[in-house]
Amino acid sequence: MPTSLQDPLRNGDPLAWEAFVRAYQGRVYGLAYHYTTQAEDARDLTQDVFVRIYQNLAMLPGEEGRLPWILRITRNACIDHLRRRKARPPLWDGPAEELFHLRSPELNPEEAHLEQVRAARVHQALQELTYLNREILLLKEIQGLKVEAIAEILEVPVGTVKSRSNRARLELAQKLTAIGMGA
Amino acid sequence: MHDAPLNPYLPDPPVALDLTRAILARTSGSPCLRVQDLACHFVDGELEATQERLVRGHLDHCEDCAHLMKALALATTLLPRMAEADPGPWFTARVMRATVHATRRSHEWRATWMQLLHRPRIALEAAYLGTAVSLLGLSLPMPESLPAPRALVRTLSPEPLLVPLKAPAQRMLGQLVAAEKRTVASVQRGLKLDGAAAEGATSAGWWQRGSVRVRGWLRGLKGMSEEKAPTPANP
Ligand SMILES: [Zn+2]
Repeated sequence: MPTSLQDPLRNGDPLAWEAFVRAYQGRVYGLAYHYTTQAEDARDLTQDVFVRIYQNLAMLPGEEGRLPWILRITRNACIDHLRRRKARPPLWDGPAEELFHLRSPELNPEEAHLEQVRAARVHQALQELTYLNREILLLKEIQGLKVEAIAEILEVPVGTVKSRSNRARLELAQKLTAIGMGA
Repeated sequence: MHDAPLNPYLPDPPVALDLTRAILARTSGSPCLRVQDLACHFVDGELEATQERLVRGHLDHCEDCAHLMKALALATTLLPRMAEADPGPWFTARVMRATVHATRRSHEWRATWMQLLHRPRIALEAAYLGTAVSLLGLSLPMPESLPAPRALVRTLSPEPLLVPLKAPAQRMLGQLVAAEKRTVASVQRGLKLDGAAAEGATSAGWWQRGSVRVRGWLRGLKGMSEEKAPTPANP
């Protein structure tokens, strides 16, 4: 559903734009951090993504298609960045415990901290997966996109995403058991 | 019944597990691989009751598969919670600076420029500036407007100086002048440009021709005004 012309966001209203940035910056930064594994690079990329979106606000899809559209821009920006960074291999950016908002209101602070440590280990294990498996997990299991949207973003058949999805999860679980999680 | 083994040759339970594996390896294939095939469906609760019971039965006896299943369940819970990360408290302000504020600044520049363009006397000012630049350009010396070496040689022609001298001196100087002319001609041939350089030379030539023509016009106009000027003075 296309957004109406009366949409303050599409008309460039700074307040609507600020609300939009607040709503999506965690998602964009989360995906960029998974791709780059470096907080500062991920921050720069996130800013670039929002500048690109701001310059193309007229093309912003309606609510339903918005997240896949934003994540596609983010993913492409990350791939470009990684291509440029090829000469400089990615460095491990240290503990990622503080980076993830783990939305578990039922957890007490101690449990929440434990969850964050686990999330950081999962993030580390993700880096060891084969490239396509990792991307499928980032977009499907983490960002929760539909198989069709992922196939479009990754430019692979829908069947490939479906068949690879469970294999990727299993590969991740094997990496986690190798580092002692699940014992 | 379980108090004492009926047959003392029956193997111990761990050996029985190995035996089970050995039998399965030679018959249906590895049950662990089958569990791996079903693991995601098991964690997602998509298995039918019988299959689920069979998987649970295997997990009770296979530590490796139990660990794998626990890790898979943990990942399944954690992954969706990792969708967002915190870019820091000032990040939104940073994005706002890079988008809205930057655009506003560029709009301000554009507005200033438009204001300048819409001044009432802008056409007059532009014409004045254009004329000034053109005149400045026309009066600048161009490389080709310098006297050509041949002309220089002609200027320095020695004939008038040779009159008081005798024939041998005249002949010698004539030879020197001829040699000088030949050198100049060969240098000029060598300086003939081609390709991109020739374009520059052509444009310089065009400029010079234009400049000469404009100066000619100006001289003509001046001449006309000088011719006309005395007419009213003479009755
Ligand atoms: Zn097993």
